Amino acid sequence: MRQTKILIVDDELIMRESLSGWLQRDGHYIETAVSGEEALKKLKINRFDILLVDIKMEGMSGMEVLRHVQENDPDVAVIMITAYGSISSAIEAMKNGAYDYLLKPFDPNELGVLIEKAVERQAQALENLFLKEQYKDRVRFESMIGQSRPMQEVFDLIGNVAPMNSTVLITGETGTGKGLAAKAIHTNSPKSQGPFVVVNCGAIPEHLMESELFGHQKGAFTDAWETKKGRLELAHGGTLFLDEIGEISMRMQIDLLRVLEDRVFYRVGGTQPIEADFRVITATNRNLKNAIKKGVFREDLFYRINVISFMMPPLRERKEDIPLLSEHFLHRFSKETNKPIERISRDALDEMMLYEWPGNVRELENAIERAVVVGKGPAIQSEELPISCTDGSVRPKNNSLREIEKMHIAQILNSNQWNIARTAKMLGIDRSTLYSKIKRHQIPKPS
Amino acid sequence: MNAGLRHSFVISPATDCESELFAPIVKSIKQVFRHDSLVTPLIRDVGFALDPNRGQYHSTLILEKLAEMAPEGAVKVIALTRVDLFIPILTHVYGEAQLGGKACIVSTFRLKENLSPLTAQQTYIGRVVKEVIHELGHTFNLRHCPDSQCIMHYCRSIKDVDQKSDQLCRYCRVLIDDELRRMARG
Repeated sequence: MRQTKILIVDDELIMRESLSGWLQRDGHYIETAVSGEEALKKLKINRFDILLVDIKMEGMSGMEVLRHVQENDPDVAVIMITAYGSISSAIEAMKNGAYDYLLKPFDPNELGVLIEKAVERQAQALENLFLKEQYKDRVRFESMIGQSRPMQEVFDLIGNVAPMNSTVLITGETGTGKGLAAKAIHTNSPKSQGPFVVVNCGAIPEHLMESELFGHQKGAFTDAWETKKGRLELAHGGTLFLDEIGEISMRMQIDLLRVLEDRVFYRVGGTQPIEADFRVITATNRNLKNAIKKGVFREDLFYRINVISFMMPPLRERKEDIPLLSEHFLHRFSKETNKPIERISRDALDEMMLYEWPGNVRELENAIERAVVVGKGPAIQSEELPISCTDGSVRPKNNSLREIEKMHIAQILNSNQWNIARTAKMLGIDRSTLYSKIKRHQIPKPS
Repeated sequence: MNAGLRHSFVISPATDCESELFAPIVKSIKQVFRHDSLVTPLIRDVGFALDPNRGQYHSTLILEKLAEMAPEGAVKVIALTRVDLFIPILTHVYGEAQLGGKACIVSTFRLKENLSPLTAQQTYIGRVVKEVIHELGHTFNLRHCPDSQCIMHYCRSIKDVDQKSDQLCRYCRVLIDDELRRMARG
């Protein structure tokens, strides 16, 4: 067992010597300091488990030593030593965070018990820290963060479905973390040693999709200079994640259905059947049942991919996660940008809690990134956040999600002078999604 | 100086110490430390260490004087006294030792508490012997032992002293043997 490190701070030599002699026989590591000033010097170069500090000393008082320890390393147990006449200052010290106090002279048993208890408390604190770390594992599931009930349910669900080989459909608005959930399923699945291959169906142009998914043989078409493996083939032994599956064409839906049924496909221009063993996870922000009704999504494919499904909750439905997420992003971006921004001001946090976050976690992430970039002080201020809840002009007349999304996109577009790349980044969506949203919402570009 | 003191432990009793304590202490020292002992009063009066305000005797002062008076060649010296001892920060001590040094002291003052009439003398002698070996153990650089049966265990109450054995645990035994070997090599 590690020796307990004790620092005795007393300006009386006889007290230091008698106490250190006594405690050394208990097997503790002892150092002494003749003053508060010397104690602070020793604390700078060494960490002690317990401090025994005389309250009344020449120069820096024991109370000042206590204050310093409380500010810099509150886990250190500070035991104040005082004479019978000054018990009130000992009580004052207890109020200021001292672990306990001893009245001079004290019973050797009392000292022994106190030291033992302090050591036990520190062991308990370590244990608690360990448990807290374990709890953190629940707050963080792979790369996902959330202590809210909806997120805890998601974590449970992922934990349950990951070990199976079933196809999973993840629904949810843009920026809710569907990709992270898919990755978490893969990481916790029996195929975790295999590749995790992502296909963003909304970002790949229709004419390239077939080649991208199935690969092509050399000479299959004009630009096919060499044989290329498709994403399906690359996913062999792992997981294929088809993001934005609601965006793929009807023709591709037919091909995909066939692959999911037979697990066999052909490269474009190829004649040899290729077998690949992979798990399929799909995600969409669209309502596929509506898409089926409208005839833009195949019902048979829907049932094939919808074996297990769950929805990633939007950020507005788990606002209690905002402080935790913000802190996480702040820490990451301040480290990345090497800017010493340590916290988020109360006003900024209030603003974030009021805001509806149509772009969800990704929008929050981008907002914090921007605030860190433009921020000047040690704390992020509300005006540094690219959101506004106080300006009535940004509030839509009706509160439908569609209206909120339209207003928000228009506002960000205007603030970026319709720079699509910058707006898409800020909104946490890709450019093609932004274009489709501009089109869908019929957002007019100012002349 | 008496040649017989060379390589011996010296037991220095105060004038009023019970003589029946000596033989069991000598026997126990021989058994634990494999050394002979001689009983020679080195300090007859500990009045110089009296703190009139506390009515107790400052053990560290006695220890210092004892170390000064230790006969040349004596391995360890232990003073036995009936007065109540203290060190400034504590209300009382049963004894005190120079950790890794030569001198130690044991007070019998508080060892007479809670004695059963039937076994009083035997228990009392047992307590004194245990305290003497315990303090001598410190002079061999032994720290308090977590084993509640080991003689180097720090007892919170006199009841615990009665319950612990008069032997070293196997770990403390090894440490003592190391020290004894080191001492023999000079």
